[in-house]
Amino acid sequence: MKSKLNSWLDALDIENLPDEHETKQLLELFDIGTPRGVRLQPKDEIVVPLSEPWVVKVCNPKILHKTDVSGVITNVDTTSIEETVTVLRKRFPKSAVLVEEQIEFGGPEFIVGALVDPNLGPAVMVGAGGILAELYKDVAFRLIPCPPDETRRMIEELIIAPVFNGFRGMDMNITGLAEVINSVGKLVIALKESFNQLDINPLVYSNGHWKALDGRLILK
Amino acid sequence: MKLTTDLDSLIHPSSIAIIGATEKPGRIGRIIFENLERSGCTLHPVNPKETQVRGHNTFAAPSDLPDNVDLAIITIGAAPAVDAAEACAQRGIPQIVVVAGGFSETGEEGKELERRLAAIPTSFGSRVLGPNTLGIFLPEENLDTIFVEHGDVALAGGGGVAFITQSGSVGVEALGMASNTGFGMRAFVGLGNKCDLGELEFLQYFAEDDNTTCLAFYIESLDSGRQFLEAAMKTSRFKPVIVLKAGRTAAGASAVSSHTGRLAGSDRLVEGALRQFGILRAFDDEELYDAAKTLATLPPAKGNRVAIVTPAGGYGVMGADHVETHHQGRSTLRMAELLSKTRARIKKTSLPFASCLNPVDLTAGANDEMFGSAIDALLEDDGVDIIICAAFFAPWAITDQLLHVVADRIKHASKPVIVFTKYGPFTEEFLHRFHDAGVVGFPSITRAVRAARFLVERADTLKALGKEA
Repeated sequence: MKSKLNSWLDALDIENLPDEHETKQLLELFDIGTPRGVRLQPKDEIVVPLSEPWVVKVCNPKILHKTDVSGVITNVDTTSIEETVTVLRKRFPKSAVLVEEQIEFGGPEFIVGALVDPNLGPAVMVGAGGILAELYKDVAFRLIPCPPDETRRMIEELIIAPVFNGFRGMDMNITGLAEVINSVGKLVIALKESFNQLDINPLVYSNGHWKALDGRLILK
Repeated sequence: MKLTTDLDSLIHPSSIAIIGATEKPGRIGRIIFENLERSGCTLHPVNPKETQVRGHNTFAAPSDLPDNVDLAIITIGAAPAVDAAEACAQRGIPQIVVVAGGFSETGEEGKELERRLAAIPTSFGSRVLGPNTLGIFLPEENLDTIFVEHGDVALAGGGGVAFITQSGSVGVEALGMASNTGFGMRAFVGLGNKCDLGELEFLQYFAEDDNTTCLAFYIESLDSGRQFLEAAMKTSRFKPVIVLKAGRTAAGASAVSSHTGRLAGSDRLVEGALRQFGILRAFDDEELYDAAKTLATLPPAKGNRVAIVTPAGGYGVMGADHVETHHQGRSTLRMAELLSKTRARIKKTSLPFASCLNPVDLTAGANDEMFGSAIDALLEDDGVDIIICAAFFAPWAITDQLLHVVADRIKHASKPVIVFTKYGPFTEEFLHRFHDAGVVGFPSITRAVRAARFLVERADTLKALGKEA
């Protein structure tokens, strides 16, 4: 893992500033599922991942809220892919573009994150995700390392927790979500001093698997 | 010089030097000296300008003090207090309390003075409590350095709560209010500016103290961070630990660039950390001392089913509402469903128009015996985990004896019983009488239900720590 992590760090486009695509590669190293995707630099020929529809996004670590700047286009298929990539390239001439398989999912979006508290050290967070995460504030924190029992308890504290118990026919998998949280804990420990903050938002449940649809990692 | 690690000489001193002790009435050095006269400790006033203080010969300087002084209480102003503290440390006194303010809280000059105090442990091995502290108060040992009004008489009976507070003001006001409803205190410690001794050292001390049954903290800054949490978790396996953490920590300027960072600033991180480490949380001083009083006295609940018995239907309804209200992240309570044999028993011993469902409404016509029988029936109902008993003394058929009827049943009960009492202007008097009879009582139904929730949270905590209640 250590050597994989080092080669990941060495391969970053901009030192210490991973973009979404690179962040997702790291998540995959820690067994957190992400959609298949291809990052296209401004001059790259357009190639696409396996199957449509796709999501096309601007891929630049300096852009914080992609949707706010019209940097995300969904439901793209073979007839519209070329035009969509061109539109985004015009909007963000210096940025890469990320083409990903569009993931179908049921149930609510989640957020999983991590940060380092100045007094208490590294911590993980889970909560109701999506663009309104900060409005709902339905989140729970634990310090890292967080034992498996405690990970489960933090999920069960959420107002949204009944979705794991058949609320409105939903059967989202709590064990899988707990595994994502544990993986985030391992990732934070592995990055040691260079870790600052991580957001996985949204994290969704798709065909029996948890998938990180967006990820943002801040290193020191 | 070897660092003093044992706080026994601070908590159980036999020989105390009071720097700045004086005959002059109203001065801090006089009040503290008089307080300490009751402790039975040998007292050594230090004051170069007076020859005697209340019949004790004074010493001109700390260097003149005899051997084996355990504790020096320094009651003079900031700058001279630092000189005196250094002199006491040099004289080999292991514990030093600096009462004065005027240190890091006031600016650069004060910060420098505090740095000198903070250097004492490494230079001389002595420990320093404060500065800017009211010191310590142990009712059962008559050891009291608090020079402001603090309900000392009402608290004289002592008890099991070790109350450790960063703010002196919050501490004494909380003590005053707590004593109004009856409060059993083992020890009060004012941490002040924490230049040396802090929450961690006192957590470790009172965790090991046999007379402490519950630890309550008012903390603004968790300087000892993770170490405190880990020590608290160890303690929590056998004694409840409650923390009122004031001052919400923003996660720092650098952390606001993520959702996680911004959400942590809303205090949720501290909440999660406390829960993870088996620490119960209070959100204001009243909740802190109510929880401490309850957990120091009553056993954890075996479940979350609450029965309410009352002579006043309205309070029963309000109580049931509070029981059924869920607060996110807190343990849930629910109203117990009484067994039919329990209902039948209560029916037989109460008035025809009493309600034998939960809440049990004995009506304003109830007498002492009806209360006793209803409590007996609820204590024997396996579907009831906690009982809240509204003991009112105003109804015409109720006498003062109700207090004993209730207390006798509660004291040795296998499940926790909380009393809610009101008696007009005599409410506090009756709360004190209940307290003296070993009963946990509150003057409001809201506080009684909140106390019940703490008993369930304590049980949940023990379960999470792998210890069954």
